[in-house]
Amino acid sequence: MSGHKRIVLVPIASLAMLFLASCAAVQSGADILAGAGQISESDRQSIVKTSQAVSATFSQITEEQEYYIGRSVAALILAQYPAYDNPALNTYINTLGQVMVYSSTRPEIYAGYHFLVLDTEEVNALSAPGGFIFISKGLIRRCKNEEMLASILAHEVGHVCSKHGLQAIKKSRLVDAFRVIGTEAARRYGSEELAQLTTAFEGALGDIVETLVVRGYDRKYEHEADELAVNFDVTAGYSPKGLTDFLQTMIGDTTTASAKGWFKTHPSAEQRMEKVKSRIGSLSSAPVEASVRTKRFEQSVAKLI
Amino acid sequence: MKRPIPMTLSVCLLILIVSLLVAETLTVKVQSTSLRSTPKFYSSAVQTLSAGQKLEKIAAQDGWIQVKTSGGVVGWVHSSAVEVPKFDLMASNKGLKTQASAGEVALAGKGFNKQVEESYRAKHKDVSFAWVDKMLQIKIAAAKIEEFMKKGKLGEFGGGR
Repeated sequence: MSGHKRIVLVPIASLAMLFLASCAAVQSGADILAGAGQISESDRQSIVKTSQAVSATFSQITEEQEYYIGRSVAALILAQYPAYDNPALNTYINTLGQVMVYSSTRPEIYAGYHFLVLDTEEVNALSAPGGFIFISKGLIRRCKNEEMLASILAHEVGHVCSKHGLQAIKKSRLVDAFRVIGTEAARRYGSEELAQLTTAFEGALGDIVETLVVRGYDRKYEHEADELAVNFDVTAGYSPKGLTDFLQTMIGDTTTASAKGWFKTHPSAEQRMEKVKSRIGSLSSAPVEASVRTKRFEQSVAKLI
Repeated sequence: MKRPIPMTLSVCLLILIVSLLVAETLTVKVQSTSLRSTPKFYSSAVQTLSAGQKLEKIAAQDGWIQVKTSGGVVGWVHSSAVEVPKFDLMASNKGLKTQASAGEVALAGKGFNKQVEESYRAKHKDVSFAWVDKMLQIKIAAAKIEEFMKKGKLGEFGGGR
């Protein structure tokens, strides 16, 4: 290769790297180059194919698609746990939940965040992508004040903010789905494309429900959600001690509840406690528990469950 | 193939320039949200914005963006509600994640959509969506949330640090 060519190829290669940052840009760039006769049709196709494979990650799932995935995950969660039909309690949980959402890193999502109490004594809280958040009666019963409840909801909002549920989807499902999305210009699909998308959809739901209900999140996601909960608590004006106080109730628990839900699907309460305490210790200042909130909690929630 | 490189470069530069020129137009990416009078979630709504609506950016402040609608109405939206079309040279070094919203508008209605959900439900008739739809009906008015925060000495109404 001559020196001249090498000099010109360096900026070209740099531009190509920049374009790789955006799948759409790569495709349109490849289309333009092919149209201008700069690259062959086979080169164009291989560039587009490579960019699609590179971009098959959870971060390419749009807000709207996240919402549709979340709806079905929520329906599958509700197939396992009945809803607790108590409008007053659900209003309280949703009001408190929105305060945590406002204090979060991703307050606006496609159809907003919605919270629902589950009619089970199991100590559990779950969040489906797209902002469908569930908290069990058993968990609420363990909370002694609004700070504890706020911290649990903040932890679940944190999972949604960081798209932890979507990250449970296996890459192969996304490659399959994106292949159909990439080839079809229409928004309504023909039977073959629809069947392919439905299969990828079913697979994605299975991956998420398996993680949420059976296996539990990776340790790093749990610690990340705890860290976010501390941040959201402080922003909202709640004492982040609500989280350590709740974790304390889990330590040494040998009741039947300890075999399920939050106990089963998380790193140990001791491990979480240690990390959360050090995080709180690093804050320059933090809000403290307010008696007005604890009274509100005792008067409303305690009587409702 | 003579002089292919200057042609390639000029095409790339053209794309860059066009991308930079459109950078100040934002698109609503959530189903619906409020154009608010001040940069606060519980401030009064000036009007409702819906997915795909274009907004012109005026200013930014703490995660909020002051915008003008095509009808000339000015207000605030939270940055998480809009897609910022960008070709950010700094962000592109950080990889794909920072470019996550790039296809949001182009892909609207595609992929896992209502039609796919209907197809899924037709195959799984035992899975009920009744409570999912009921959950979506639970909406707390901004004024109620503000009152809850005031009474609970939360956010800007607090002081118990």
